[in-house]
Amino acid sequence: MGVLQYVAKRVGLYFAVLFIGLTITFLLPRLMPANPIDGYIGQIQARASGALTADDIIQLRANLEQLYGLKGDLFSQYLSYLERVVLHFDFGPSFTYYPQPVSQMIFNALPWTLGLLLISTFIAWLLGNMVGLVAGYFHTKKAATILEVVGILLYPIPYYILAVSVILLLAYIFPIFPLSPTFPVGQMTPQKFGMVIYNSLLPALTLVLAGFGWNILSMKALAVATTEEPYVTYARLKGASNWTRMVRYVFRNAMLPQVTALALSLGTVFNGALLTEMLFSYPGVGLIMRTAASGGDYNVLYGAIAISIIAVATAGLVIDLIYPLLDPRIRHK
Amino acid sequence: MVRLGRYVLAPLAGLLLAGASYAQEMTDVGTPRNETLIVQTFDGKSANPDVQNPLNQYAIWRGFRELGWSFLWEMDTATGQSYPELAAGPVEVLNPEHTKFRIKIRPGVFWSDGVEFTVDDLIYTLDTSFKYKDKLTFVARTTNYVKEGSWSKVDNYTMDIETANPAYDFQTVLGVYTWGSLFVPVPKHIFEGQGDNVVTFKNTNAVTLGPYKIKEFDPNGFWQLWELRDDWQRSGWGNLGTPKPKYVLYKDFGAEETRTLAFVQNQYDVDTFMSPDSIAAAKARNPAIETFSPTLPYHDMNDACAYGVYFNQQKSPYDLPEVRWALALTTNLQQVGISAVSGQFKAAALPFADTPITDPVYYQPMLEFLNGLTLSDGYKPFDAGFGDGMVAALKAQGTPEADLPTGDAVKQGFGQGWWKYDPAEAEKLLGSVGIKKGADGFYTKPDGSPWTLDFVIPADWNKVMQRTGFSIADSWKKAGFNVTARQADNGEFTTVQNTNAKLDLMVNWNMTCTYNSNWFNSWNSFSDTFVKPVDSNEPLQGNFIRVTDPEIFKLVQDSKVLEIGSEPFVANGIEIAKKLTSGMQFINLMNIPTTIPTNSTYWKNYPKQSNFYAAPYTWWSSFKKTIVNIEPTGK
Repeated sequence: MGVLQYVAKRVGLYFAVLFIGLTITFLLPRLMPANPIDGYIGQIQARASGALTADDIIQLRANLEQLYGLKGDLFSQYLSYLERVVLHFDFGPSFTYYPQPVSQMIFNALPWTLGLLLISTFIAWLLGNMVGLVAGYFHTKKAATILEVVGILLYPIPYYILAVSVILLLAYIFPIFPLSPTFPVGQMTPQKFGMVIYNSLLPALTLVLAGFGWNILSMKALAVATTEEPYVTYARLKGASNWTRMVRYVFRNAMLPQVTALALSLGTVFNGALLTEMLFSYPGVGLIMRTAASGGDYNVLYGAIAISIIAVATAGLVIDLIYPLLDPRIRHK
Repeated sequence: MVRLGRYVLAPLAGLLLAGASYAQEMTDVGTPRNETLIVQTFDGKSANPDVQNPLNQYAIWRGFRELGWSFLWEMDTATGQSYPELAAGPVEVLNPEHTKFRIKIRPGVFWSDGVEFTVDDLIYTLDTSFKYKDKLTFVARTTNYVKEGSWSKVDNYTMDIETANPAYDFQTVLGVYTWGSLFVPVPKHIFEGQGDNVVTFKNTNAVTLGPYKIKEFDPNGFWQLWELRDDWQRSGWGNLGTPKPKYVLYKDFGAEETRTLAFVQNQYDVDTFMSPDSIAAAKARNPAIETFSPTLPYHDMNDACAYGVYFNQQKSPYDLPEVRWALALTTNLQQVGISAVSGQFKAAALPFADTPITDPVYYQPMLEFLNGLTLSDGYKPFDAGFGDGMVAALKAQGTPEADLPTGDAVKQGFGQGWWKYDPAEAEKLLGSVGIKKGADGFYTKPDGSPWTLDFVIPADWNKVMQRTGFSIADSWKKAGFNVTARQADNGEFTTVQNTNAKLDLMVNWNMTCTYNSNWFNSWNSFSDTFVKPVDSNEPLQGNFIRVTDPEIFKLVQDSKVLEIGSEPFVANGIEIAKKLTSGMQFINLMNIPTTIPTNSTYWKNYPKQSNFYAAPYTWWSSFKKTIVNIEPTGK
């Protein structure tokens, strides 16, 4: 298979995934039992202690159907949705927070989500793999077993428990970090940037701890298996040092599945981290999606899920395209 | 090692101590802590904090109604009486049909940018609401109530206006009934320049009429800081008294776990809807944390609305009063209240909340009716000793004597009474309409086919209703009803409420919101216009308890031309309440328990049961009374 053919096939597959994903994204929220108009009227009614009269509700319902673009048959709504999303990358206004544009809601939250999750995911991956590599390469030594125990201890702890424990320890018993951070507003200064970093450290630490264990265990298993490969034995017999064998022979080969896992997890960071946002009062797309799902806010769901689909599909494409660079076996097929 | 201590650890410790001291003196947003009242937001995080246009859906829970806006008339939530705020006095009625009115406003009221507030602002607000009524999402109440184009300016401080129908509740529709008004005057000089763009205008930062102005807000929606205007005395309610805090911070302190810890650390002053368990934990660690009352049920029970079980009365077998009564008599409210809300609730048998305001108007006059109420088989279902039973049950569970109400406080705390828990009588009633238990121990339909009760309850978005719903389902199941408690998210919940074809039973609240003698607020939709076929999938716009009784419809219709609060108006309300109750058209359960713990480290004199100068809610416009009544502790 030529390189061009390989790339074309992957790119074609990428667009097919996007099309199917966007179509499912359009249909799925409409299968939910929640209706955005009922959701909005329910909210207003709740806020008005039931004061909206039946006539008020009739008028509000008619206006909302018009404003939300929910009049007309499903197919014409679908075509209009594809046109808006594909040609203009426009997801329309939020239903729950009309007339707030969905894109603005998501793009306001996205830098926070990405800033926290990209960095913490990468650090967890890097640290986990380094510890896992050492634990796997030296798996016959006692010290390595201790490193593995760290992974075994951390991995099964539910994130909620881990996060609350960290909060209790580092924000309540030893109040080093804020319980409920206040992110500075206005023009960013070095001092304000420092505050943002400081306020993000605790959620980042829990995410690193939560992701760390799995990376240790999986890298350790891969490293143990790779250490026993004939080419590693050959390198040892040839007189290569421990460091050279561990880094150049074991790590490079064991890394491939880990890179795939990293790329896929980087793709999913666009979904946000709902629990982290809730527990640490951290801004992000997770809470926006949660509110949208409960209120039947189709447009916000379209926006958030579509961005996530695009991110995951793109991560998959990038991996497919760079894999031949990482693995000569694929390059030479 | 000594050097390490001297040069590294000592400065570090000093820094930490200085930091801690600074943290106590200043808030995270840079204001002096002892000049800042900090409250937990009602809705957690806001998704649209920069949208501050009250003609549309906006960041409503960030203190606008309480501190930023001002209304024509406000509600004294301690007495249930409406009083003028922007208005110079009560509305003047200009014709016997009660459709023409004159509004006079106080001169000398100014917007936060120094422009005087006049009737031009009111007229602009009305003009804009009607002109863009199909594009603005927060004006429907006004545009249905006011007659289009009927308003005219008399002078800068006087205007005439007509309503679409005879209106006896003018002050509480164009002013405040409970939580705020749906008619919010906007500044003409700011909005007019927007032209047609007013429908998407965000109005950031809003120019305000209240004594506070927006100092800063978090674009991520976690907090908003208000600052007292220098000219607060000439604001919309500058005549109410001196606002004590220079700053008010509305902030979301996150999940209940972190909120509780932050509350213990005195990081904020008033919480909203903290669970009884968390409050107990917080109180145990910080003596400055207090509930609304030192004795049970501890919390505020004076919300306008009450929780209840709504039936689809048009659907078999819920169309039978015997079935509805059987479900009421198998609801073990004592156990429900203890397991769902730790016994911290006030029972309400009539179809409104039982509060100090509704008690003399409805509950006291109807006690004789309740005590004498007799079912078709001669059974008397009312248990006037429900409160005493609660005290005994809680005492048996180890509640300290000091926390239990005694004497008259028992009925003030736990209500005037509720329905007996009597599964045997329920079985008798069901038997009388051919419903008997099958081989599996569950009741079957009259034709012998299996009967599954689909009972919709809120998912996590209302935990008190959710827990109450689960407990009720448990109570029914024990009595032999094959009930499925199904959790629904907000949107689905409203869809079920509105759709005949989807409703069997649900826990709900919105047909009971009667804060004072004005029952019309909740029951105006009892009309044959709002009855749809039993299998209809069309949304119902009101009458969510599916009343079909023409006598009730007539009472509602007749009351439309009666003075609110007048003797005949109240008498009609009592008559409707009797019909709803004797037919058990819905099972009213309890006043909405509202947990508002306060922390008196920095501020004192919050509204409490023994000092009830206003409803204690930080998300009602009446919070302004709290703002002028609290006092700094000097810390």
